[in-house]
Amino acid sequence: MDNDKKLEEVKKVRKVWEEKVRAPSAKRFRMEDRPTEFHSPDEIPDFDFLRDVGFPGQYPYTAAPYAVSLVPDIRRGSKPGGLRRAGGYSGYGTPEDTRDYYLEMKKLNWLGGPNLAQDLPTQCGYDSDNPEMEGEVGKVGVAVDTLRDFEVIFEAFTEKQELDKIATNVTNNAAASMMVSNYLSLADKRGVSWSKLKCTPQNDILKEFVSRGTYIYPPKPSMRMFRDSLVFFTEHLPGINITSIGGYHIREGGASREEELAFAMSIGIAYLQEGINAGVDIDDFAPKFTFNGFGGSLEVYKEIAFHRAARRMWAKIVKERFGAKNPNSMRIRVPIFAHIGCSSTTKQRALNNLSRGVVGGMAGVLSGGPPMAFPPYDEPLGLGWSLEARQLAEDATRILMYETNMCDVLDPFAGSYFMEALTTETEEAAWKEIDRIETMGGAVKAIETGYMQQAVSRSAADRQKKIDNRETLLVGVNCFTEDYELDVTTSKMIEHPYSEENRYAAEQKQITNLKEVKRTRDNREVTRLLKELEVAAKDESKNLMPLFIDLSKAYASLQEQCDVLRNIFGEWTTDSFL
Amino acid sequence: MDEEKKIRVIIAKPGLDGHDRGAKVLAFGLRDHGMEVIYTGRRQSAEKIVKAALQEDVDVIGLSCLSGAHLTFFPKVIDLLKEKKAEEILVIGGGIIPDDHIPILKEKGISEIFGPGTMMDEIVTYIREHVRK
Repeated sequence: MDNDKKLEEVKKVRKVWEEKVRAPSAKRFRMEDRPTEFHSPDEIPDFDFLRDVGFPGQYPYTAAPYAVSLVPDIRRGSKPGGLRRAGGYSGYGTPEDTRDYYLEMKKLNWLGGPNLAQDLPTQCGYDSDNPEMEGEVGKVGVAVDTLRDFEVIFEAFTEKQELDKIATNVTNNAAASMMVSNYLSLADKRGVSWSKLKCTPQNDILKEFVSRGTYIYPPKPSMRMFRDSLVFFTEHLPGINITSIGGYHIREGGASREEELAFAMSIGIAYLQEGINAGVDIDDFAPKFTFNGFGGSLEVYKEIAFHRAARRMWAKIVKERFGAKNPNSMRIRVPIFAHIGCSSTTKQRALNNLSRGVVGGMAGVLSGGPPMAFPPYDEPLGLGWSLEARQLAEDATRILMYETNMCDVLDPFAGSYFMEALTTETEEAAWKEIDRIETMGGAVKAIETGYMQQAVSRSAADRQKKIDNRETLLVGVNCFTEDYELDVTTSKMIEHPYSEENRYAAEQKQITNLKEVKRTRDNREVTRLLKELEVAAKDESKNLMPLFIDLSKAYASLQEQCDVLRNIFGEWTTDSFL
Repeated sequence: MDEEKKIRVIIAKPGLDGHDRGAKVLAFGLRDHGMEVIYTGRRQSAEKIVKAALQEDVDVIGLSCLSGAHLTFFPKVIDLLKEKKAEEILVIGGGIIPDDHIPILKEKGISEIFGPGTMMDEIVTYIREHVRK
């Protein structure tokens, strides 16, 4: 009662202020059409703290996923976290090149397991000796054709870094099950129990159709592959995450913030439904879902609201729609919080990307998690450009972590009239879009018809228009580009461990090695297993994971397996949606 | 009344590179500036690209590659155009092309490379000035 009266009073005073105080100021400073915002309590009349925010680490997780900050306290001996894994997302050339790269990075105190980048043929189910793969082998990641290649890569991880002591990330989607099978086969060879393995395959095929592009089969059979992995991992691999869902890639592809949130949630819903359809209990598999990350931008406030909304939405989806009881099922597990997004970096005056990265890192803290001043400033300059850039990004992150003390407080914007209104606004826009997708028949249908793909390209085109007409300003790109502006550059002092020479020589080396594997393995066994795969793949009810493991151990190549599946599942070729 | 013939452009993504945002944005942008644009989608071979370019009777081929395979694919397209005696078609490229590869590509016959941050106006002007009449 009393509160309502107070808000009415605020509304009245606001109206007068807008007309009598702000309007003349706005006119004077030439911003009548978009005066500077100020937010007041009347904007959140229905705000309910326990319902809308709650306490950190519990439903609905709006404030933060965990009850305390995730910043390791190095004064108390906690190991430093952040970017310092075995060379971040990395890998290139032949398996030998990648193994040697990891050994090199260990000297720089890069700890932990690999975050393994594979080349495009490996991500798209092709072998290195396929003539159509010329120019692609070993370029954007390491070439993995058979189990032999995993054996070589992981020669860099033994003893203190044996498979039961490290966590491995494998960024593969269409062939995720094959890569996990390689990992399991390797564990068997080394006598490491599957129960000790920690691994996160990306295994998020639906976003590949929407924006990233490394699909093989059409959406429906791809979901069958996903189901197989979900069921198998839930039953046999307690330390292996089922998926690493990317909103991130969808935003980087050009989607607007609201589109990304809606599409990521819809895709998550589709994956969760696969588990339910397969008869697995939600609380058995949902805790094994992770998110790779979400997109970002320099618009800090909106990104903070995004993360708060995303956590609240996922919690609601898993609890209310899927009936989960385990709080761990409802929590978004994600390694990075708000950040600027790689597509926000500029090639022009690239050092400015460090400043941009810091903005993102601050947004990260304010959005409920540890900061990450990501990406390093050399992002638009090409792969393997500079170790110094990585050092500076890490140091910027450390400064935020240890000098600002910002991480002493979780979700400082909680209760803010502005932030709560913005969070709700973001969430409501996303629900509207999710409803639209549900009406279409869900995420898979929305992808088959090209709806998501078209939304992404339209938004991308929109953004470029705004850059072209200077509605959106990019420092050094479409403003402040006069001759008197200094084109500050930097040179590299330390040689990056990626050898360009090796990268270009990798293709021939790998072809030779693959030929040798094919010559010396038991080819009758491979043929027999491939025939078994053909039969099993035709049966929707069969889980193909055990066969992938057998095929891996027999040194069947990736393309040999994928070609069998291509014949049965078909190939996705419709991607010229504009 | 003589209608000014629209410039016809094909935007293509050779190889496995899946990053199609730039290619799509360029397609929309060139359309907005009055050109007729065909977008091939991903995973095009050099042969497919040239075939489509000739079929569609284009004036410009735009190649987009961010995966480092440009030194393999871009020259292949040029070679095939030479074979088909279609060297008048303007070939431009973009994506992630290291600065020191640009002279190599130009020597092979790529007219210009437009990297990240290029404004649409620049590309439109370049095409209008360099396309065959």
